[in-house]
Amino acid sequence: MTAARKVRITYCAECGYEPQTLDLAKALMLEFGARLSSIELIPWEGGTFEVSVDGQLIHSMGRDGGFPDNSAIKEAVRARLSA
Amino acid sequence: MTLDRARFDQGLTYDAYKAQMTRNRERLEENEKRADLDREDLAAFRALPRPVKVVVLAEDWCGDVIANLPVLGRLAKESGKLDVRIFLRDQNDDIMQRYLNKGQFKSIPVFVFLDEDFRELGHWIERPASVTEIRAKRRKDIFAAHPEFGSPDAPVDALPEEVRVRLQGELAKMRDETTKFANAEVVRELREIATRVAA
Repeated sequence: MTAARKVRITYCAECGYEPQTLDLAKALMLEFGARLSSIELIPWEGGTFEVSVDGQLIHSMGRDGGFPDNSAIKEAVRARLSA
Repeated sequence: MTLDRARFDQGLTYDAYKAQMTRNRERLEENEKRADLDREDLAAFRALPRPVKVVVLAEDWCGDVIANLPVLGRLAKESGKLDVRIFLRDQNDDIMQRYLNKGQFKSIPVFVFLDEDFRELGHWIERPASVTEIRAKRRKDIFAAHPEFGSPDAPVDALPEEVRVRLQGELAKMRDETTKFANAEVVRELREIATRVAA
């Protein structure tokens, strides 16, 4: 049995990144259901859009540029679930 | 893309823009009240030899729009010399493409100042560089004074929630404390452009 995993999405609330945040959250919910222990949405500032799984950063707008491809995030989560 | 009379007239007045906002209107109006206009600056706008048209690109989700558009709104209202028309960025990409920040970013607000014959006097994008600079320095100072906030470059979600909430409070306080300076810088830069209008 795989361990439950925690995903955090930190998004710039001032920048109007809610649609991308909700799209990604929905994609993860539909893909992984109860295999994730939680999906936490953190409203932040400064153009932030970051996604981490169990504390490990898997996408950062500042580091990687732009919004992530949802399928790439799902792939990264899947890799950790099966680790 | 031409900014002429026909296009200008398609824009929203400041009040019409506020009326169609779906969010942040309260914050915008609070900032409008707080914009403390210097008497000498206001006199310079009132003394413009001819009215100036201002084409604005904005969206109601953008923090820099919510902070800076009300300053322009107050200047227009109190000087009677600025005729402002606002266009929604995402529905007016032809205008946006002409005023990209550093030639690549769709930063807003954009204020384009035009004379009565629609000749451009100058344009202004996002926020003054001096404001970006002072806020970056103050942000750095906050992190230096609070080792518990970790590195300014580290992902914020790694912080315990109660630390994160305190950091959020410190950043909000810093923005609040620098607002007066920021508004004065906006006015100074807009005045410099508007006063290029010929008599």
